[in-house]
Amino acid sequence: MPAVKRDEARRGTPPPARLDADPPADGRADEPADWVEALRGDGPDQLAALRRLHALMLRACGHQVWRMRAALPDASPDAVELLVNQAADEAMTALLGKLHTFEGRSRFTTWAFKFAILQAATEVRRLQWQHREVELRDLDEPSASAADDPQLRAEGTALADAVVDAMRRVLTPYQRRIAVALLVDTVPIDVLAERLGTSRGALYKTLHDTRVRLRAELTAQGFLPVDRGQPTRPPMAPDPDDSSTPAGGNR
Amino acid sequence: MNDTPETPQSRPAPLTGPAVDALLRDTTPWLSCEDCFERMDAYAESVVRGTHPPDEAMTTHLSACPACEEEAHSLIELLKAE
Repeated sequence: MPAVKRDEARRGTPPPARLDADPPADGRADEPADWVEALRGDGPDQLAALRRLHALMLRACGHQVWRMRAALPDASPDAVELLVNQAADEAMTALLGKLHTFEGRSRFTTWAFKFAILQAATEVRRLQWQHREVELRDLDEPSASAADDPQLRAEGTALADAVVDAMRRVLTPYQRRIAVALLVDTVPIDVLAERLGTSRGALYKTLHDTRVRLRAELTAQGFLPVDRGQPTRPPMAPDPDDSSTPAGGNR
Repeated sequence: MNDTPETPQSRPAPLTGPAVDALLRDTTPWLSCEDCFERMDAYAESVVRGTHPPDEAMTTHLSACPACEEEAHSLIELLKAE
């Protein structure tokens, strides 16, 4: 990545829209007519495009970090600036690696922003959880963090009891642990994916299959209305990410 | 028979109402996080323009995936601020 001035990054806590130290008057005056061509080229035009793109990434990362600043363990101006710059650099690298996939379904800048937002949000969540242990506990194992919270020890309802019963009977141990981590203990999905060495998409698929199975079971028991498109009691197909067996192996 | 009194610390926390709702959320039609990311830029622009066509899979995914929802909402807000 070419050297890009870092002094465009936000210092302190101004609103994210003011991140650019010297933004163009109309916000787009110095944008290339064809971003992909400019970024693929060489010489001064490519360098100008890279600098402009990096400024956009800084702006989007600053916007995202600002939104999530309450989750930061260190929200000091220096820490925020470092975080925004690192996220912008990472996002720019990711974008340039995917440049060939841009199909023009949106403005290039919108397409670029989403890489920055993803990178910054993921990094904030990682920092938020960096010193916290992620429990991959089964349903019957108490949560160290939740055990003493009276609000979390609410009286069980018939539906809640039925869900617990269904989780024990129709889910694999791996599905239960993922569901408990994501939906009961509210571990962010990208944090859990990183800790388990898997992907966000793979965990969401596991969760989707879990929900389909639970909804079918609860519908069969009369707790949920019958949905015409909903499968009834799907078979216990193995989860592609599930290294355990339904009989009791733990991940 | 175990007659040792059960302490709160040894008792699993029951499912809360929000957890039950989240566990039973209908996430069909299926859309992966990766496909959500692929669609997010065009989706955000159409939302900002007020012309977004019904995209049930996208809407369903965003309602069930807090990380993707945060990022999509953030992108929409960033575009609105331009």
